[in-house]
Amino acid sequence: MLPLLALLELSHLQAMTLFAFFTSLVFAFLGKQGRREQARYFLWCFLLFMLVGIGLGWLMYPFPR
Amino acid sequence: MTERETTKTAVAESPRVRTRTETQAWGLGALGWAVPGLGHLLLKKYDRAGGFFVSIAAMASLGLAMGGKLYGPPFDHSQGSFVTLLHLLGFVGDLGAGALFFVARFLGMGQEYMNRALGDYGTVFFLCAGLLNLLTALDAYDIAVGKKE
Repeated sequence: MLPLLALLELSHLQAMTLFAFFTSLVFAFLGKQGRREQARYFLWCFLLFMLVGIGLGWLMYPFPR
Repeated sequence: MTERETTKTAVAESPRVRTRTETQAWGLGALGWAVPGLGHLLLKKYDRAGGFFVSIAAMASLGLAMGGKLYGPPFDHSQGSFVTLLHLLGFVGDLGAGALFFVARFLGMGQEYMNRALGDYGTVFFLCAGLLNLLTALDAYDIAVGKKE
C-alpha cells in the first residue's frame, strides 16, 4: 500500500537541517534545566550537527559514489 | 559522602520534589513511551511535554512523508541472519515511538521500500524519533522517582 501522506521532496541539506533542529530541541529539554540554559544548549547542538554534517559531506566529496 | 550523593539526597529530600512509588514511576514512563510527552504532561512539566510531543511527532511524520520504511514482522530471512538482526534492531528502535508506530503500521504506512535516498533518510527519521522517545520516557521515570527535577 502506498503511504497515505504525499511523498515529501526535500534536498539533503533541508532534511539534515530538520533532523538537527528537532533532535537538538529534544536534547536541550532532556539535558538542561531552565530556559536560558536550554536555549544555549539547543543552539550549540544544532550548530554542531550542521557543522559536522557539512564537514563530513566535504570529506566524502572526493570519493566516488 | 561524595558531591553527587549529596546532590541526589538533596533532590530526593527537597520538599518541592514529590517522589512517587516505583510502580507509579514505571507507569508514567510507560505512558511517556506510548504517547510522546504524556509522562511529562502528567508530571506537570508542560514545556518539556510540548517540546517532546512536537519534536518526536514531527520527526516521525517527516520520516513517513519522505517515504521511510518501518521495520517489523514479518522479517525477511533471505538476506542472511546479520541483515535479519539489523532489521530486528530497527524494529526495536521503531517500537520506541509507541502509539505513533502502531498507528502508522495500522494505516499501512512505511510498508514499501522506496528506492530513493530520501526514503532512507525517512527511515532514519522515524528510527531516531523512536529512540528519542525512549529517552524521554526514561526522563519521565527519573523525574517521577525524584532523581531529576
